[in-house]
Amino acid sequence: MSYRWKILRVNLSTGSVAKEPLNKGWTEKYFGGRGLGAKYLYEELGGGVEPLSPENKLILVTGPLTGTIVPCSGKLAIISKSPATGIILDCAIGGSFAAQLKFAGYDMLIVEGQAEKPVYLAINDDDVEIRSAAHLWGKGIFETESRLHDEHGMEAVVLSIGPAGENLIPFACIGSEYYRQAGRGGIGSVMGSKRLKAIVCSGSKDVIVPDMPRLLELVRKAIREDVLTDTNLWAHIGGTPTIVEMSNSSGVFPTRNYQDGVFEGAQKINADSIRKLRPHKKACFACALGCGNYLCIADSTVEGPEYETLALTGANCGVDDLGAIVRFNADCDDLGIDTISLGNVLGFAMEMTEKGMRDFGIRFGDVETYLKMPRLVAYRAGVGKELSRGVKQLAKTYGGAEFAMQVKGLELPGYDPRGSWAMGLAYATAARGGCHMSAWPVADEAFGKLDPFTIEGKAQLVITGQHYNAIKFSLILCDFWALSMGTMSEMVSCVLGREISVAELAKAGERIWNLLRLFNVREGFKAADDTLPARVFKDPLKSGTPAGRVLPRDQFDSMLREYYQLRGWDSNGAPTPEKLKELEM
Amino acid sequence: MKLILDAEKCTGCKICELACSAKHQGVFNPKKAHLRINDNYTETGRETRLKSCTLCLKCVETCPVEAITFNGKWLVIDDGLCTGCGDCVDVCPEGVIFLNSEGMAAIPNFCEGNPFCIEWCPQEALYKEEDVA
Repeated sequence: MSYRWKILRVNLSTGSVAKEPLNKGWTEKYFGGRGLGAKYLYEELGGGVEPLSPENKLILVTGPLTGTIVPCSGKLAIISKSPATGIILDCAIGGSFAAQLKFAGYDMLIVEGQAEKPVYLAINDDDVEIRSAAHLWGKGIFETESRLHDEHGMEAVVLSIGPAGENLIPFACIGSEYYRQAGRGGIGSVMGSKRLKAIVCSGSKDVIVPDMPRLLELVRKAIREDVLTDTNLWAHIGGTPTIVEMSNSSGVFPTRNYQDGVFEGAQKINADSIRKLRPHKKACFACALGCGNYLCIADSTVEGPEYETLALTGANCGVDDLGAIVRFNADCDDLGIDTISLGNVLGFAMEMTEKGMRDFGIRFGDVETYLKMPRLVAYRAGVGKELSRGVKQLAKTYGGAEFAMQVKGLELPGYDPRGSWAMGLAYATAARGGCHMSAWPVADEAFGKLDPFTIEGKAQLVITGQHYNAIKFSLILCDFWALSMGTMSEMVSCVLGREISVAELAKAGERIWNLLRLFNVREGFKAADDTLPARVFKDPLKSGTPAGRVLPRDQFDSMLREYYQLRGWDSNGAPTPEKLKELEM
Repeated sequence: MKLILDAEKCTGCKICELACSAKHQGVFNPKKAHLRINDNYTETGRETRLKSCTLCLKCVETCPVEAITFNGKWLVIDDGLCTGCGDCVDVCPEGVIFLNSEGMAAIPNFCEGNPFCIEWCPQEALYKEEDVA
């Protein structure tokens, strides 16, 4: 079977490098990725650990499908405790690092402690070295990666942080293959706090499956009849910018800090505009789709911008200049900044300034000032010193909490919950705070056939989505292959050589979701934290289908109560002992 | 024959490499594939190059026991003669010869005319030279 049964554990305080067996029992319950990483973090961390202290850990996890030809299996999960939220942080990054880690012979890499001076980690099969990163510290992600390719060869894959991660910005990301990110929750600053500039990995070992002919037959059929069909092909044809049109036309496209849901400049930044300019596409390892779009405008190149960047750093900042967004995006990728959070920070600062509540010197649509911001924030220079604290902390100091668009300290992604009520519940209950990667019910509501303005059936919709993604991101598969649980079961059963039923996968999804919750309960989070910014409850949207709509507070509360009941959680949002017993936890 | 890559279509997914190692070695391992997709990141995005057998025949010339021959279309190895010395691995300018798990030379042969990689490429970016011309 495809596990290597080996963990690489590196302690940067002591300089020790250890190889230890993977916990087999845990793989049967949590598989890999998000689930297995969360299990290790939960068991090893204990409560109350300061996220930027040496006690926090960075856990990089592959899954049983990693390194195989199963389509869309290229992602790596990175699990830690978030400096932005103080709760669990589960990130995923595309590219080919996960596959290289597996080919090097490891299912998982755990980084602990804190180096005295900047270091990077070099993994080449069994050879693992902690090396000085004196020559890399202070450099952007692009140069870091290029220099490490010069030193370790083009086939080595690099994960690294930029100045934002080094400077412990709470929304610093980790980058790989230049333009791909583990974006959210300040995962890059956890790496920075350990003075770990980069990890470079190359592997040459086999990944073995029990029945190769059968797997090839299954995958060949899946690529032809499932992956490369209309349900998923949008990812290849337009990539995530396809969503700009969907969001804007259904009125949930965050515009000028969520003051509106329809952006007058959307046409200039949609998939058609991007398709005309892109020189080529890019896929992650083993992905038959290939969602990446390269764009090269003026002297800036980026693989992107992705939908979330177009929404948050475009419409949400009142910017419809695609060239400016590309440059902003490239700067963020190089400096190592999460565009979702920075787009929110700027949108918030722009509204505060325009309302006269605090002058941050930046207004909606002011492209010239906007383009200076990534650098100022990454280095905490000028106004960047304040802005680098994130929306929640800014609102604490300067007011404006009603329109500080964040949940639990994590800034919201690009789907306005007033036009997709279940999306509101998904944000409020997502394990890492305001996040779209736990469930995406906007697809069924604003973009689909369900009425977005009722709470009927929505708690169950969100729960089903959360379990589906929890297991999918644990195997690991990419979001963009909308495969059925049946296909998931076929793939994983074949790769593991034992029957894993749909019911078992669904139960594991629920188990993983409860584990994430247990982590947050241990950190003191309660029902009152499962909420949304006041704007969602109070300020009606202005345009399109949801014009005049809010998500009424009482409706939200009912939906949340129903959600806890269906989950078998108590009224404070904690899993009950009966539920944990049922899930064999 | 030779393999041709349409770099405009290639997304760099490496499914061709995985399919190759799966078919010929029974494992997933891009370092045991008879072709490589090399990505270079440039100022304007990404530059993609295919490495595969060009029939330069250096391996044929180098093999000390004459285990490798050229049949006019592709390379053929006589496993009975191969000693696993690795000279062919070292001399291959494309880096697409390697030693298999038994320590014997694994030589590219374009799947004897029907390359698995072409069949598997989801972007239809790989061709036989004769099909392009």
